[in-house]
Amino acid sequence: MSTTTGSGSLASALEAQRERLLPCVHCGFCLPACPTYNRLGDEADSPRGRLHLMQAVVDGRLDAGSDAFHTHIDRCLGCRACEPVCPSGVEYGTLLELARETATRARPQGKLTRALLAVMGSPALRAVFFLGGRTLRSLGVARLAVRLIPAGARLGGIRLAFAMLASSSPPGRRLQKAPVNAVPSRAIGAVAVADDDSVGPVPRGSRGRVAYLEGCVQRGLFERINQATVRTLEANGYEVVPVAHQGCCGALHAHGGDLRNARRLAGANILVFEGVEIDYVAVNAAGCGAAMKDYGTLFESNQEMSTRAEAFAAKVRDVTELLSQAGPRRGAPVSCSVAYDHPCHLLHAQGVAQEPLDVLRAVPGIDVRLIDRADECCGGAGIYGITHPELGGRIGRDKVAAILREEADHACTPNPGCMMQIGAGLLLEGSSDVAVHPIELLDESYRRAGYYSATGDSQ
Amino acid sequence: MTRPLAPDVVRGLTEIVGAANVITDPDRLLVYESDGLSAYRVSPRAVVLPGTSDEVAAVVTLLHLEGIEIVPRGAGTGLSGGALPTPDGVVVGTARMNRIIEIDPENRLARVQPGVINARLTEATQPYGLFYAPDPSSQSTCTLGGNVAENSGGPHCLKYGVTSRYVTGLTVVLAGGRIVKLGGAGRDSAGGLDLVGLFVGSEGCFGIATEIEVRLLPIAEGVRTLLGIFETMEAAGHAVTEIMGSGLLPAAVEIIDRATIEAVEASIFAAGYPTDAGAALVVEFDGTEAGLDLGADRAEKCCFEAGAREVRRATSEAERAALWKGRKKAFGAMGRIAPDLLVQDATVPRTKLPEVLARIAEIGERYDLKIANVFHAGDGNLHPNILFDRKNAEELDRVERASTEIMHLCVDAGGTITGEHGVGIDKRGYMSLVHNETELEMLRSVRAVFDPDRLFNRGKVLPDPLAET
Ligand SMILES: Cc1cc2nc3c(=O)[nH]c(=O)nc-3n(C[C@H](O)[C@H](O)[C@H](O)COP(=O)(O)OP(=O)(O)OC[C@H]3O[C@@H](n4cnc5c(N)ncnc54)[C@H](O)[C@@H]3O)c2cc1C
Ligand code: SF4
Ligand code: SF4
Repeated sequence: MSTTTGSGSLASALEAQRERLLPCVHCGFCLPACPTYNRLGDEADSPRGRLHLMQAVVDGRLDAGSDAFHTHIDRCLGCRACEPVCPSGVEYGTLLELARETATRARPQGKLTRALLAVMGSPALRAVFFLGGRTLRSLGVARLAVRLIPAGARLGGIRLAFAMLASSSPPGRRLQKAPVNAVPSRAIGAVAVADDDSVGPVPRGSRGRVAYLEGCVQRGLFERINQATVRTLEANGYEVVPVAHQGCCGALHAHGGDLRNARRLAGANILVFEGVEIDYVAVNAAGCGAAMKDYGTLFESNQEMSTRAEAFAAKVRDVTELLSQAGPRRGAPVSCSVAYDHPCHLLHAQGVAQEPLDVLRAVPGIDVRLIDRADECCGGAGIYGITHPELGGRIGRDKVAAILREEADHACTPNPGCMMQIGAGLLLEGSSDVAVHPIELLDESYRRAGYYSATGDSQ
Repeated sequence: MTRPLAPDVVRGLTEIVGAANVITDPDRLLVYESDGLSAYRVSPRAVVLPGTSDEVAAVVTLLHLEGIEIVPRGAGTGLSGGALPTPDGVVVGTARMNRIIEIDPENRLARVQPGVINARLTEATQPYGLFYAPDPSSQSTCTLGGNVAENSGGPHCLKYGVTSRYVTGLTVVLAGGRIVKLGGAGRDSAGGLDLVGLFVGSEGCFGIATEIEVRLLPIAEGVRTLLGIFETMEAAGHAVTEIMGSGLLPAAVEIIDRATIEAVEASIFAAGYPTDAGAALVVEFDGTEAGLDLGADRAEKCCFEAGAREVRRATSEAERAALWKGRKKAFGAMGRIAPDLLVQDATVPRTKLPEVLARIAEIGERYDLKIANVFHAGDGNLHPNILFDRKNAEELDRVERASTEIMHLCVDAGGTITGEHGVGIDKRGYMSLVHNETELEMLRSVRAVFDPDRLFNRGKVLPDPLAET
C-alpha cells in the first residue's frame, strides 16, 4: 500500500497514505484521553476532530494551508494518548507526522520551531547550543533568570526556557543524602515496591551486547543519565558497546513534520549502528525510543531501507525494558519517596508501563507513589510549553499540582524531556526540586551497594 | 453552503462565553458535521461551548430572539444523528460543562453537569462503594447529558434498567432561555406529574439539560461471568430463553454471532473464541456473594442443555475481562475489516430472536451484504451491523434497502425501531411504522409544551405533520 512521498511528488504526504485514515469509525472513544480536548472542549482539538480535518484535506474539502488545519494540527501535543484507547487501531502518531508535513509544506512553521529543528539537525550547532546551555546552568544564570524575569507577560516563554534549563541540573546531594536505612515501603495504587526476589551478580556480557543512543538533549544536558545507563546495564550483565559518530535520531523532526530530515538523520544512525555487532540498542529518552521503534514506518516507501530500518527498530529497547528483563538486580537502600509520572512516549507510544516501576522496585527503601492521572501528558511535548504558553502552561500546572499532592521527596519520570518540563514547573511553583530518572535512583543504589567498586567489575 | 451568522449575533455570543468558545470559521466547523453516525454530514452555522447553566440560558435566549435553531451536543457518539447539525442551526456543546457538582453518598445521589462522561461518574463514586448503573458500551466517552437525551441502555441494564430509572432531577434550559428545575433530591418531594420522566429520552428536542441529578447504587459484592460457546445461533437463543425462563436474574446476557466472532478473531483483539462456533453467549451475575455460584451453576446447566459445546467461567477480574473481550471489542474489530459500518438498533420480543436472526441472515444474503450481529439478548435488543464501503455507491444503496427491510422485519415481529440509540434523524422515517397519526400528534403536542417554536433539534425524531410534507 505504501506510496512514495518523496519531495518531488505533488500529492501531499497525507493524500499518499489516505488508507491510514480509513479505520477511523468516528466513535469518539479517543476524546476523553486527549489533554487538549479535555481542557478546551472543542472537537477540532480532539483526536477525532484532527483526523476529520486530515480527511477533509485529503478529500479536497479543506486547504492544507488554512488556519484551521494549521492551528489544530499544531496544537496537538503528539502525546498519542488517543492510540491505545482506539478500538479501531488508528495509527494517530504516524498520521500526525504526515499531517504536519503536509501542513508545513503549505505554510511554513513558526521561526522558533524551525530554528530548534535546525540546531538539532546539525552536530556543530548542537554542540554550541548545549555548551551555552550548560554554561548558563552551571553559573546559576538559569535559576537566577527564573527568579528575575517576571511571571506571565511577554517574557514567559524565555522564563520557561530558563526554568527548563535549570531543571536539567543533577539532583546531586539531595539524592546522595537520602538515608540508607531501608524503611518499610508502602505501596500506592498498583505500584509494587521492593520485595525480596533478589537477582545476584551476573557475568558481564552474559545478557547480550548493547549499544546506546547518546541523544542530543541527553548528551547536551543529561550526560549523567547516559553514564547511569552504561553502569546499570553493565551491572545487570549487559556488555555496553560504544558507537562513535552517532547523531540525532530525528524524532523531533518527525514529530514536527519534517520527515525528509527525519529520514536523513535516521538513515545516518542506522548506518552507524549497523557497523557494530549488537543485540540491542538502549534508549533512555522516551521520545527517541518511540521514533526509533517506528523507523520501519518512516521508511516504508523505500523497500531496501525499510528492511534495514525494521531490523534496526527490532533491537531498540527503552533502558528500563532491558533492566527489567534482567531482573533487575537489587541494590542497596536509598530511602526516599518518589512521585512517579508516565512519559507519554513510553506509555502510549511504546506500551511500556511496568518496566520503569520494576527498576524502582529494585531499589530497597523507595516509596513509589503513582500520581493522579499519571497517564496524561505533562505538556512538555518538545517545546510545546514555549510555542503554546497558555495551554501548555495549564497542562503543566495540572501535572505539577498532582505531583505536589503526593508530598514525595522527588518527582520521578523516565524521560529527560518530561524531567525538564516537570522540573521547570516545580521551579516556577517555587520548589527547588528537580525530577529524577528511575535509573539515576538505581545507579545511586548500586553505587551504595559497591557494584561499581575499584575492580571495575560489576560484582 | 450554510449561512454565516450575522456579526452582531456572533458578538453577542462572544460576550456570553468568550471568543475562544464561539466557532464560526467554516473550516473549523467541519469537525462538527457528524456525530457517531458519520454517514450524515451537515455543517452548522456556528458552535457555542458554554461553561455554566447561566451561559447556556443566555445563549439560548439570544438565539431564540433571532429565531435560530439549536442543536445540543454532548460527546457526539450518538448513532442516530441526534447531534447532527441542522443547516440553519447553531450547535450548543456541553464539552466544557464537565464538572461533578456533588456526590452525596448518604442519599446515594450525585449532581453533575451534562458534559460529565458516564464512566467518570462511576470512577468518582467508587471510593464511596457506589456506582452509576447504566453502562452504554460507549460509557468511557459519552456524556450524561447525551445519556439523558437518548435514555441510553447498556449490557447491564437487563438487571438494572436504563437511564430513566436513575435520573431523579434535572435543571433544563428551555427555548427562550427560561431555566426550570424538574424533580430533584431523589424526586420524592417533587409531586405532581413526572416531568423528569418526560424529559428523559426527549432526544434534545425539549431543551438543554444543564444539571443532572442521578441515583447511585452500591457496588455489587461479587460477580460471576460465563462464556458459552454454541454450534448454532439457534442453540444460543434457546439457552437465553432457558436462563430467562428459569427465574434467574442475570445482570447481563449478550450474544455475538459467527460473523462477529470471525471479525474479532481476525483482528488484533482476538479473544480466543473458536472461529467455527455459531455463537458465543456471555452471561453475568452480580450481587451478594452467597447465591452467585448457584446462579452461575444453573445458567451453565441451561447452556449445556441447549447444546453448548463449552462453557467457560471467570472468577477473577482478569478472567472476566478476557471473557468480555470479544463482546467489547466487536465494534472496533469490525471497523478494521470494513471501511464503513452501519450499526442498526432495534428490539424484538426475546422469544422471536432465533426467527428474526434467521430472517436477517437471509436479507444479508439476498442483498449480498455482510451482516454481523451483536446484541443484548436478555432484552431482545438487536444490533445488526452492516459492513460496507461508502465509496461504492451501488453497495450503499443495497445497505439502505437491507436496513429498511430489517426495520420492517423487527416491527412485524412485534418489536420496535430502536432499543437504545434513539430515533434522531436516521429513524425518523420509520416512526410511522410504530405510531399512527394520532400518536404522532400527541408526541408533537408534548414537545410543544417544552419547545413551542420547535427551536431545538428541528426536524429530528418527529416526522413533519402530513400537511407540511
Ligand atoms: C461504539 C459505540 C457504542 C455505543 N453503545 C451504546 C450502548 O450500549 N447503549 C446506548 O444506549 N447507546 C450506545 N451508543 C450510542 C451513544 O453513545 C449514546 O446514545 C449516548 O448517550 C450519546 O451520548 P453523547 O454524549 O455522545 O451525545 P450526543 O451524541 O452528542 O447527543 C445525543 C443526543 O442527545 C442530545 N443532547 C446531548 N446533550 C444534551 C443535553 N445536555 N441536553 C439535551 N439534549 C442533549 C443531542 O442533541 C442528541 O440528540 C454507542 C455509541 C457508540 C459509538
Ligand atoms: S477512537 Fe479511533 S476510531 Fe474512534 S474516533 Fe477516535 S480515532 Fe476514530
Ligand atoms: S496525540 Fe495527544 S494531544 Fe494529540 S490528539 Fe492524541 S491525545 Fe490529543
